[in-house]
Amino acid sequence: MVSFGVETDDDATLARRIAAGGSTPDTATESELCRRLAPRIRLYGLKHLRSEAAARDLMQDVLVLLLEQLRSGALRDPSQVASFALGSARQLVLDRRRGERRRARILEAFPIDLLPGADPAPEPLDTTRLQYCLAALPERERSVLVMTFYDDRPADQVAVELGLTAGNVRVIRHRGLERLRTCMHSAEGTA
Amino acid sequence: MTRTECTMNRDELFAWWLGELDSATEERLDAHVFACADCAVRLTALLALGDAIRRETLSGSFGFVVPAAFVGRLHAAGLRLREYTLEPGGSVNCTIGPGDDFVVSHLHAPLAGVPRLDVILDDPTLGRFRLDDVPFDPQAGALTVVPSAQFLRSLGVTQQRMRLIAVTDAQERVLGEYTFNHTPSS
Repeated sequence: MVSFGVETDDDATLARRIAAGGSTPDTATESELCRRLAPRIRLYGLKHLRSEAAARDLMQDVLVLLLEQLRSGALRDPSQVASFALGSARQLVLDRRRGERRRARILEAFPIDLLPGADPAPEPLDTTRLQYCLAALPERERSVLVMTFYDDRPADQVAVELGLTAGNVRVIRHRGLERLRTCMHSAEGTA
Repeated sequence: MTRTECTMNRDELFAWWLGELDSATEERLDAHVFACADCAVRLTALLALGDAIRRETLSGSFGFVVPAAFVGRLHAAGLRLREYTLEPGGSVNCTIGPGDDFVVSHLHAPLAGVPRLDVILDDPTLGRFRLDDVPFDPQAGALTVVPSAQFLRSLGVTQQRMRLIAVTDAQERVLGEYTFNHTPSS
């Protein structure tokens, strides 16, 4: 059973502060809220648009819309900031798919430099160690990881090509990722 | 200020990312990923690992065994493949060219009914390597092997032998032996 625990308090606190400021921008608070929300919006965009550029555009659009709503007081319950962002992202993805060009119009109203310029990048991976760890994987796990990550292929498609069940592929994928993580972390521990 | 502990695991996040979930569950996870900064961090790290695996795959730093359909996707993506097809007992003069991204060997063998398949590689200078329990489709009639391109580029003139071994609880049986007469690209 999945427990959908959420972390909205910090987002909501920031949103309330922005809303309380009305039309007087609290740039530091707005930047902090954008910094917190940007990675999540980007991931949603990457998942649904499969394009880094499109995901970044979506991220900017959603954040600008959100700030607009908070400043104007149109977002009546600032604690629902994540829900509003999700709803906006869904709508913008639909709009983009329909070929609408909402972005240019919206961006004219807000300074672009308010938005986070880059996503917080994860720690760089040790490439040499990764090569070692990949080569050390059992053949099945390496094959499934290669086929999965080469073009983000879901388990059912990998399964058809390998003559396995989707459930079997998920098990192999899980084991492979865990083994890879353990191998990579053991290198960190000994470095 | 309260915060509920997030118990979503990486498998669920990754299944969401790959679009493996039904639409109702996907919508629930859409909402969760938007609300949970921790999940965003974990998924971003997983995707970074995936990007690294993709880069290493394309760089030829390690070898792998894949279905022929996967090789078709490499070809369709514009990668340059040098392919060899061998029957059991066959041999081939082979190399890797400067412009080749991958060398692919299709090893034909009677795979139907084989419960487990191992590969043994013999190299006169490097010794013997055994790949246990390689993935294969028994209906395909061939095993597709993609050796490390970086490893192949390091080889001089050499002769390598590859054997496909059907493994059961009781015995091992050689399905085919294949000889690769390798020369470096001039």
